[in-house]
Amino acid sequence: MDPLFMACSYFRRRKFQLCAEICTALLEKNPYDQAAWSLKTRALTEMVYVDEVDIDQEGIAEVILDDNAIAQIARPGTSLKHPTTSQAGGPSPAVRPMSQAGRPISGFVRPGTSSGRPGTMEQAIKTPRTASTARPVTSASGRYVRLGTASMLTNPDGPFIHLSRLNISKYAGKPYLAKTLFEYIFHHENDVKSVSLFHQYFLSFSSIKLFNLAALATEHSQFKDWWWKVQLGKCYYRLGLHREAEKQFKSALKQQEMVDIFLYLSKVYIRLDQPLTVLVLLKEGLDHFPGEVTLLTGIARIHDEMNDIVSATEYYKDVLKQDNTNVEAIACIGSNHFYSDQPEIALRFYRRLLQMGVYNCQLFNNLGLCCFYAQQYDLTLSSFERALSLAVNDEEVADVWYNLGHIAVGIGDMTLAYQCFKLALANNNDHAEAYNNLAVLEMRKGHHEQAKGFLQTAASLAPHMYEPHYNFAALSDKVGDLQSSYVAAQKSAAAFPEHVNTRQLIKQLQQHFSML
Amino acid sequence: MEEQEKASIPDGPQLSAEIRKPRPKKVAELPILERRNWLIHLHYIRKDYETCKTIIKEQLQETQGMCEYAIYVQALIFRLEGKIQESLELFQTCAILNPQNLDNLKQVARSLFLLGKHKSAIEVYNEAARLNEKDWEIEHNLGVCYMYLKDFEKAKEHLNCALQHSKHDLSFVMLGKVHLLDGNVEEAIEVYKKAVEFSPENAELLTTLGLQYLQLGLYQKAFEHLGNALTYDSNNYKAILAAGSMMQTHSDFDVALSKYRVAAHSSPESPPLWNNIGMCFFGKKKYVAAISCLKRANYLAPFDWKILYNLGLVHLTMQQFASAFHFLSAAISLHPKMGELYMLLAVALTNLEDPDNAKRSYEQAVALDQSNPLVNLNYSILLYNQGDKKRALNQYQEMEKKVNKLKDSSNTIEFDPELVDMAQKIGAALQVGENLVWTKPAKDSKSKQRSASAGKPSSTQQPLGSNQALGQAMSSAAGYSKNIQLSTDRCSAQLQKPPSLPLEPEPGAEDITSQGEPERDKRHEKR
Repeated sequence: MDPLFMACSYFRRRKFQLCAEICTALLEKNPYDQAAWSLKTRALTEMVYVDEVDIDQEGIAEVILDDNAIAQIARPGTSLKHPTTSQAGGPSPAVRPMSQAGRPISGFVRPGTSSGRPGTMEQAIKTPRTASTARPVTSASGRYVRLGTASMLTNPDGPFIHLSRLNISKYAGKPYLAKTLFEYIFHHENDVKSVSLFHQYFLSFSSIKLFNLAALATEHSQFKDWWWKVQLGKCYYRLGLHREAEKQFKSALKQQEMVDIFLYLSKVYIRLDQPLTVLVLLKEGLDHFPGEVTLLTGIARIHDEMNDIVSATEYYKDVLKQDNTNVEAIACIGSNHFYSDQPEIALRFYRRLLQMGVYNCQLFNNLGLCCFYAQQYDLTLSSFERALSLAVNDEEVADVWYNLGHIAVGIGDMTLAYQCFKLALANNNDHAEAYNNLAVLEMRKGHHEQAKGFLQTAASLAPHMYEPHYNFAALSDKVGDLQSSYVAAQKSAAAFPEHVNTRQLIKQLQQHFSML
Repeated sequence: MEEQEKASIPDGPQLSAEIRKPRPKKVAELPILERRNWLIHLHYIRKDYETCKTIIKEQLQETQGMCEYAIYVQALIFRLEGKIQESLELFQTCAILNPQNLDNLKQVARSLFLLGKHKSAIEVYNEAARLNEKDWEIEHNLGVCYMYLKDFEKAKEHLNCALQHSKHDLSFVMLGKVHLLDGNVEEAIEVYKKAVEFSPENAELLTTLGLQYLQLGLYQKAFEHLGNALTYDSNNYKAILAAGSMMQTHSDFDVALSKYRVAAHSSPESPPLWNNIGMCFFGKKKYVAAISCLKRANYLAPFDWKILYNLGLVHLTMQQFASAFHFLSAAISLHPKMGELYMLLAVALTNLEDPDNAKRSYEQAVALDQSNPLVNLNYSILLYNQGDKKRALNQYQEMEKKVNKLKDSSNTIEFDPELVDMAQKIGAALQVGENLVWTKPAKDSKSKQRSASAGKPSSTQQPLGSNQALGQAMSSAAGYSKNIQLSTDRCSAQLQKPPSLPLEPEPGAEDITSQGEPERDKRHEKR
């Protein structure tokens, strides 16, 4: 059989390794075989292909030194940084726990969206250590490194294409080669470089190459090929030139409407902190592609981040109408039902996830909680047992024990609750919620000093939670130490401004202070 | 204080004459120390603290920290900002600068009090009291300090002294509190009565008095005071809750709900409020709504046994006995000393067809309960249904004793008609109904009943038994909501701690979230 045909066949069957091997053999015989070269490039690219639309992990540097946002002090409701605190119809923080960024916890971790931008350097550095869901401290390269190492293994005898020796203008003239070459550089080479310490330098280096290639190719196609414009936009985006990226994407969109372009453009706007524009854009996209799941999910995510849980749920429901196996939508709707006092309905959603084959610690943990609150007592403990056996790391084990502690509180067994919280701490020493609850238990026993210690630990680990602050304030107030009480109450009010008891406490303390 | 300072201004004009040169001549030359006191005072009373602080700083630099008034105001500002420790130090400086000034000493003591150092505060106050015997403030604060030190006798003494010097709402409130802490409700009510006479428009005082009456069972008076409180302050949370619960007792559920709606607006996370709303729905026979309200209350306050009790009750009514059992057993482990809880648990167990444990639970209930005839009645029914007539008879007689005792203690008491009916039936079945405490039923009707129940023994009684328990349960629920007010006002701090627990589901949510990650990766691989 013709080896090139074999290679094509392998490629179609997604056996890229075999495909690449055959192509290598062909190229050894005839180094100028353009077909084989192009196919090998594509095969190598496919091996490490990552959907650009979804990765959006901002590194610590980008987060802190962010000057892309159009308005630094945005009006409430128009920015992702300062979402409106009081959401219409959503559950209050007293019912639904908050994430680090001060928004209600979501049902699904997504890159870049799970926690908002931290306000200060200190908070940003602390974030990954206190919450397992937050982004890593290292810069955006984390994901690229992994992929990069993978591609290094595939070709042990040096890189397939030497970027530095590439005559870019020659390739730009050949559209059928240029596209594959571009993708190869974009997805493959870029990653290899980023392994090294000189990551940033090489990243920009290869990006410039890419950029040159894309620019030349665009010229060659007389600015008529939307594909090149999108790629140019991607390069701009990666270089942090958001305005230029926006221009390219918009112009591409004029030529050809594609779902991908809408998504890329929305990414740019998110980086510019323009959530309302994103919503408009995605809705416009929906006019052209009615019922497109990725667009719907995008809208729902934005609503979710803006604390507008009600609309987010509506869009997630729309997603489910189109694609009834969308895990993200099911999980989000389920957790929303759970926090709005409908554990029975939440149970149905989680069961659906189970039927779809999701089989992990988190799901069983949630099932257990729902079962308990829906009074299906026979299933509760077995769910938790399974969750414990499926847990892959200490943080998960700690979370399961923490929830078991709540079950113990629910059945009134304080000793068991105490032990569960202790176990949670044994597995994850940074579990602020467990510290807080231990403090409450100690307080019930009358051990004020221990309770204070636990509360202080909890407050330092998770300054975004109002509970430890409030509990500390209430405790100090009771003992008569009004200064500490006042300080703690102020922190609590900052974390949860609508909390009635905190406000009452502060009012009372202020009366004490202002009295002559 | 300020006036004193101003008064002292004319004292030393000779100092400054040569120093102040740049000023135009016509401005009166003031002594340097107090030169800008008026300005500081002006800014301070305008709450313009920033400007005030800068002026104070300049002033202190000029005078090398000798200006008493500037330090004093600086300390006050620190206190308003919550920096008590700093403010204490400044007040102490003031006291050194001018040891004869009573205000300085009082402020030092007050700072110590605010820092929770009650003993040192008392010492300083005593020192201050030597300078001025008849100061309301000193006496009052001494009383409060003693209260924190749990020396109630001395606290009362000092507070009474304070009241003699000058009447003040605060002293009344504190004195009432001391009496309550001492467990002396009558005295407390007396104090509150006087307080209300003194300031009849203070909604807080009115509410507190109303709650005290409520606790004593004087509903008419309680309602009067609570109503007054609500007219002066229609958003008073405690008063709304108390008034609502009284309406609930009189089965006026719609009005109570409308009251609660007002309260829910101002404090949406209050467990007692949700509990009372739930019981309102229960009274209106909207059981599902009742359960979801009660569950929210329980979510917000997992340590409150009363909510668990009510949840158990509602689930018994819904005939979900297993759930009821769980809630009741949780309530018992939180509050083990209540007979009625054991009785309800026994009812649940009876319906779960576990008569042995039910009996054990009844034994416990009988041992703990002193006055409730229902416990014995239900136990007697269970024993009768089990065929143990002798012990059933024992329990029946116990019940009669309790009923008689209740009748002796108060004439107005009314028994639940269902209870009376049931008691007659079981009495008839046990053939001891003749000399019953219920006076009304005539002989013939009783004999009729006896024959009837003799004819068909246990089959009718079993379901009735459970109904019986529920009838009582409802009334106790109403009684319960009365209790809750007390818990709201007294240990509001404690009630509020549990909200920290609602965090609980968080990991759950978080987990799903982390589950998302692998999911996302899968998608990439597919493409």
